[in-house]
Formats: sequence, structure tokens, C-alpha cells
Amino acid sequence: MKLRTKMLKPFRKVPVLNAANVLLVENEEHLHSRLADIIVQNEKDVNITVRLARKLPLPVENQDSRPRIDLVVFIVNLMSERSVQSAEQSVRYLDSGFFLGKVCFLVTGARCLSVSSTRLLTVRKMASSLHCPLLFAEDQTSEGVIAAAVRLLGILKVAAGLVPFATGLSLNSVTHCILPSDLEQNLDSPTC
Amino acid sequence: MTEASILPGLAGAADCSNENDSSCSDISNKSLRIAENAKKKRQAEAPLLLALKYFSQVKTGTPRNGNDELYGYLEQVEREALAQGLAPEAVSIMLEFAMSLRMTSAISSRVLRFLIPASVVPQEAVVRGFSWLCMQKLSQPTQVLFLRWVLSMFDMIDSKDNLRAIYGFIFSFVIDETMCPFICHLLYLLTLKEHVKPFRVRKLLDIQGRMGKQPFLMQLLALYKVFCPEMVTLTMPSKMKAGFKNHNSTWKVALAALRKRNISKETHSMELTLGVRQHPHRRKRKFHHLLVPALTPMMESSRSNSRKGVCLQQLSSFAELLDNLNSIELPAQMGSLLSSALALHYLDCVQDESAFLRLNFWLGHALHEEFLFGPVDGSSESMGEAAHFLSMLVSTQHFLQEGFSSTEGFLYKFLTMWDGFLHRPQILELLSDIPLVPSSYIKDVLFEPLMQLYFTSSVFFKCSVIECLTSMLRKWLTWHSVCAQEEGLDISLNNRSTMSLSLSGFLDSVLKLVQFVGRLTSVGLQLERGHTLLLHHALGFYETVSDMFLKYSLPLFVMLPPGVFFPALLATDPVSIDRLGYIMFRYRQNLTSAKEQQKKQRELSLHINRSVYKEFNTYLVAMVAHLWNSKSFSPRTGIEVSEALLERTKVADYSKSFDLIHHPAFLNYAIDFHQQCWPERTDVDLNSIKVGKYWEWYVEFLFTQGFDGLRDFIKVNINQASARQSIGQPLSQPTQPSQPTAVSSPSS
Repeated sequence: MKLRTKMLKPFRKVPVLNAANVLLVENEEHLHSRLADIIVQNEKDVNITVRLARKLPLPVENQDSRPRIDLVVFIVNLMSERSVQSAEQSVRYLDSGFFLGKVCFLVTGARCLSVSSTRLLTVRKMASSLHCPLLFAEDQTSEGVIAAAVRLLGILKVAAGLVPFATGLSLNSVTHCILPSDLEQNLDSPTC
Repeated sequence: MTEASILPGLAGAADCSNENDSSCSDISNKSLRIAENAKKKRQAEAPLLLALKYFSQVKTGTPRNGNDELYGYLEQVEREALAQGLAPEAVSIMLEFAMSLRMTSAISSRVLRFLIPASVVPQEAVVRGFSWLCMQKLSQPTQVLFLRWVLSMFDMIDSKDNLRAIYGFIFSFVIDETMCPFICHLLYLLTLKEHVKPFRVRKLLDIQGRMGKQPFLMQLLALYKVFCPEMVTLTMPSKMKAGFKNHNSTWKVALAALRKRNISKETHSMELTLGVRQHPHRRKRKFHHLLVPALTPMMESSRSNSRKGVCLQQLSSFAELLDNLNSIELPAQMGSLLSSALALHYLDCVQDESAFLRLNFWLGHALHEEFLFGPVDGSSESMGEAAHFLSMLVSTQHFLQEGFSSTEGFLYKFLTMWDGFLHRPQILELLSDIPLVPSSYIKDVLFEPLMQLYFTSSVFFKCSVIECLTSMLRKWLTWHSVCAQEEGLDISLNNRSTMSLSLSGFLDSVLKLVQFVGRLTSVGLQLERGHTLLLHHALGFYETVSDMFLKYSLPLFVMLPPGVFFPALLATDPVSIDRLGYIMFRYRQNLTSAKEQQKKQRELSLHINRSVYKEFNTYLVAMVAHLWNSKSFSPRTGIEVSEALLERTKVADYSKSFDLIHHPAFLNYAIDFHQQCWPERTDVDLNSIKVGKYWEWYVEFLFTQGFDGLRDFIKVNINQASARQSIGQPLSQPTQPSQPTAVSSPSS
């Protein structure tokens, strides 16, 4: 019963015309505000609201003032184990309706993964079991952050229904993460 | 200034004064300011010299506990090493001190950990290190640490011929299980043909029997096999794992920092002495794997005179290369081949397997360790460096007209974690170079990661992906058509036993690629609302696909998907329709010539699916009905919309709205034509163009506007007789349409 009130539901609110709302969830809080700025600056035609959170569930008090969330982005920093765990726990507070094209994962630090590739595998498994897209971002350079923000904006506009002939679900069906088969791992992973 | 900054504490501990003075005087000739700097530097180095002197003279068994002098000096050297790097003499002294185990092994390993050379490592020091290793006094972790140090600093060892001379000694350590991976790596770097001996091969096989098929053993054996195939009968797996790990983790950060500092110093010194622009960063390149090393010969010392080999860097012209083609010595560092045009010519014509093996190893290592999992500092400098390296790799592969297998492996790995932006031009260029991917795993390694990137990225990224895949398809097809000529692989050949197998494999992969791009373009155009640029890239791809039979002699016919055809047909720019006309024209030419060939050799039917003809005819009917017969939206034209719905649009003559006159893409041409025909008329009645001769003139007028594709399409597909007949009468009479001369499927 308690869990149910804490759940974030996608269709609880009525959508507003020409508006899209995205929720960025990041435990470390060092990328999401930068992303938010760029997302808002990059879109002129539509009213974009970016909401930031460290983790889910969101506080119950603000439930009524909170707008309808069109896209939830989990930002996972592979350099930290906590980041992965926090995302894993937060996902539980999303209503299943979100997983029809309203959730995606954004991973940073995948390239300097000399220490632990198991974290990447964990996130990959999570994303593929939830049928969500898994994006990678280069958060070290400002160009990389801009590129990531622009990609998120594109997904957001589709998820918010602002792109004719495309829905979040249709986009999700072509972008969701698929666990690489063993073959690929055999082919090109360096022996460790 | 340059000298002084690169080689701090140039001279060793004991006999420093002479050399240092002479180097100083050289410098002071250049500029007074530089000399002063050097002097300041020398003063700062005095304690270091004392410390080095201490380490060169300290006796075995000197007490360690409470020895403040020792720790003071140790810290002194450590600070200097991490800040500036150590001069070659200092490296010798410290290595000697560490390896001789005059203190405890804890001290030895501490010394090894901070042993960062400023410029080069004298090879004699390394040789002495090995002689100490032979004493078997060192503890196992220290032994491994020493080997890791040698491997990490390998590029900086000034020459390797003496190391090669003690190959046998080094080989003897291979039986030690903990040291074996490191020894194998070192041997891999040192091995020459003369080192491959039957007893060594036996030993390695023996160890392999004990330890299992370890990748490091396999790599070394693979190299042995390249040099002496008769000695190693082992069969190697075609796709081998990268065998050696990178061992430089301990020193990586320090080396990178050192290199950065040196570069900044060097650029600073460049400002002082303009004119020295010949080899600006050559020297520093050794510090980083992503930089291509300079061309240095394998045999550095006087011994090279006794060998008849010629080093690549001695050659300066193509003619010289041709003269010495059979006696070329490969350089010590295979990566240096990338930067030399002559070396690439050599690689290209000699097809030396060992050279490719070594180059691939070097490249795979560089890409994996330095780029893929490299230091992510995001500085513009390191980004520029990586971009430069990748661009050079691109131009090398273009020169050789083939991709390296190590690049391929790297790309598959990188695609799964790419953000779609980092080094995009180079990555896509490299991607288009990858050789044919077997259809069994093309989906996993290529399509899935690309698709996830494609659909989540901007329209411009989508365009560049399609462009990349077009170029990939062209390269595969070209490769096939060249192979077909070389090996007599011909679809009309009778002996199809082995060839048809490979041909069918090839067809499978190409078919998968074409279908994949069909999916990307259809859904992409839908997402981007028929973006013109994306449409043109899609049409560019199908220009290649439509011509596969005639241009590349590949018996494969795949029609473009409706998701591309109809957006192009109903596009608002005339160029899309023109290109579509050209594509349909090429499809027709290919299909008819295939049918003729089929008739000629009935028993060797090259099989064309009947559905291809059917699809082609549907498109043809749709195109003619829309553009020529003014019968848009009527049944059997591909787009069927119920009449009730069309009425509600309140467009008066909806069936005419996509003919050559009213089509939004051609409307301005029609108005232009109208004005030229009837300059005095003020009210524009476009329907009058359809009457009589004007229609013929109008079509001719369009052709003069450069719509060659459309002209080819109309000339081939519209039956001239019936066309003329229909031109004779107003085209509004739908009972007399000019029929498209459809290609019929062979059996019908």
C-alpha cells in the first residue's frame, strides 16, 4: 500500500499543449544540472521543463504540483558502485507504464572502465531486461555533454508526443538495449 | 633550453662536471637567458646528484631501519623522477641499485615504481637488470615488477640489439609460471627470425600442454609460425584474442603527466627559436602509444652494417624502394610504418604476413589501451591527438584499400559504448572500411549497436550513418567484383562447388546490409518527417543497390522499401523525384539484362525472386500513374485513400495533384513554362499545358532543366506510341492512359 503511493505514474496527469517534462535522476548530481541547462536552451518551440532528482521515490508532498513526466532518465556513472545501485533501486518506484518508451539510461565513464566491466554489464542487463534504451555520454568534454543533451531532447520530444507519426513506444522498439550475445564478447574483448 | 629541459641532470652522479659544462657552453652560445636558466636548474639539481652518488656507492647490508640518509635521498630522487623524469645515467644507477637488492626488496620495488625516465633508458641498464634477474635473488613480486617496468618502458629503451643478444637468457624464464606472460610479451617484441629454434618451439608447446591454451603463448607461437611455418605445425584460430595485457598501470599516470609537461615546455622553447619546425614533437612521441613512433631501424648499432638489410628510413624515393624490395628490414616499431608513405607501399606490395601481424598487434594495443580505455581527461590536446591518430589510420587504410583486423575488433567494441559524437567523422570512416562481416554475427556486432545510436541521434547523424553504410556496401561490392575477376568467380561458371558457397555467404551478408539500411531509412524518414537530406542519403544508397547486377556483377536484386519510395515520389523537391526516376531506370536495366541472361543459360538459372518483379511493377505503375497519368490515389497505385476522405480534403482535382504539372516539386517549372508559352496571359491555367503539343513541349522543357534521371525513366518506361497517342488528346480522359511497359516476371 505504501509502495503504491510512492510509485511515479505516467498517466496520472493530463498532458499540457506544447510542453514536455523530463526527470533526470542522478545520485552524484554532477551531470544533470549541466544537461538540464543545455536541454532547456536548445529547444525554442516547445515548453521544456527539466526536473532533477537524486533518487526515486519522489517526495509525496509535491505530488500535486508536479507536472506529468514524459521521460525519466537515469544517469549512471560507472566509476561509482553507488551510482549503479542507486539506479537499480530507483527503477522500482516507476510504474510499469513508464517502460513503454518513457525511460532511458544514460551511462558515463564507460570508456575508462579499466577496473570493472561488471558494472557496465549490470547496467546493460538492467536496461535490456526493462527494454529501455541505453545511451552513452562523454561527460568529460563540453561537446560530449551537449551531444548527450541533444540526444535526450530528441527522445523526449518523441516520448512527449510532439513528433507526428512517432510514439515513445515505436521509438523504444527500435532503440532498446539488447544484451550482446556471447559471440561478440569472444570476438573482441581483450583477455583479462 | 630544449636540451636542458628535456634532460634534467644530464650528466650522471659521479662525473657530472665535464659533460654538464660542455652542454652548458653549447647552450650559452645560443642565448644568455637560456644559459642562466640552465644554471639555475643545475643548482637545483645538486642535491639530486648527491643522492645518486649515494645510491651508486651504498654497500650491501647497510642498515635500513633508522637510516634517515637513505630515506632522505630516496625521497629526493622520487620527487625528481615524478616531476621531471630521470636522466639516462640516473636510470642506470637506480635500476642497478634496485636490482642488486642492496637494501630490502621493499625498497627495490619502491625504486622501480618511481623509475620514470626523462628521455631514454640505456639498454645496458636493462641488460644488467636481466643479469641480476638470473641471480634468482629477487622476490617474485619484484621480478614481475621489473618485467612490467621493462615492458612499459620498452619504447624508450635506446636500442635493442644487446637485448636480442641475450634472447636465450630471457627465454629461459619462460618456464616460471608467474613470469611467463610477461616474458612471452617481451619475447614477442624482441623475436627475429633467427631466434625461432625447434627447441624453443618444443619448450613453448610443452608449457602450453601444462598451462592450457593461454593467449600469450598462442600469440608468441603465432609469431614463430609466421617466421618459420615449418617448425610450428599448430593450427591457429582465425580470430585470436588480443594476447597481451597492458602492464603499464603503475607508471601510466606519471608518464602521461611527464609527456604533457615536456610538450608544453617544448612549445614554449619553440617560441624562442623560430625556424626549428622540422620535427617538432618527434622526440616526445615515444611517451604515448597513440602517437606514431618515428621510423627507427631494428638494428641500431654497427651490426647493421654486417647485415645486408636496408632500413626503410634510409630510402627516400620509390625507385630506391623497388631496388631494395627484397632486403628491407622492418623497423623496430611497427607503428612507425603508418606515418611513412614508402613503408605503406612496401607493405602493400610485399604482403608480408609477419609485418601485418606485428602491425595489427601494435595497432590493436594502441587503440584498445590508449583510446578505448585510455585516460579520459577530456583535454583538447588529448582529443586532438586521438583525432589525429584516427585520421592517419583512416588515410592508411584508404591507401592500402583494406581495413586492419585490429581496427575492426576495436570498432565493434567501441560501437557498444559510443556516444555518437566522439570523433564521429573518423569512426564512421573507419567503419566503412571494415571487410565483409559474416551474416551470422553481423547483426550482433554491427546492426544492433548502430541502430540504437541511429534512432536516438540527430538527423545529421542519421545521414552520416547512411553515408557510411553506402560506402561500406560499395567497398564490399568492389571487393567482390575484383575477386570475381581474379579468381574467375563468375555466376555463369559450371564448377560452383566451392565458389557458390562463398558467393552465397557474400550474398547473405550484402542482403542483410541492404535490408538493414532499408529499415533504418524507412523508420528514420518517418521519425524525421521525410527530412530532405536524409531522403537524399537514402536515395544515394539505393542508387548503388539498384545497379548491383550490371555494375558489380552481383546477382542480387532488392527493391527499395515503400518507406523510401513514396516519400521520394511525393517529395517537395524535384531532385528527389529525379533521383528516384534514375533509380527506377537502373532497376529496370538490371532486371531486364538479368532476364536476358537467364533466358540464354536456362539450366544455370540465376534465381530472381518473382516478388522482386512484382514489387518493381507496383512501383512503376504507381510512379507512372502519379506523374504521367494524373491518377493519384486511385486503386493499384500504391497509395489508396478512400474517396470520402479525399472529398473531405476539398482539393478539387485530387487525382491530378501529383502529375508533372501540379506536383509540388514541379509546380514552379509549370508556371515558368506557362509564362514562356503565353506571356500575354495574366490568369494562369496550368491545365492548358496538358493539351496537345504543349504537354510534349513541357516534358522536353523539364528535360532541359537537367532532370536526366527523369528523362531516362520516361524514355524507357513510357511506351512512346501510346504516349504520343495520349498526348494527342487531353490527358484528363482517364480511359486512354499510357501504360507503363512493365517488366514481367519470367514465368508469367
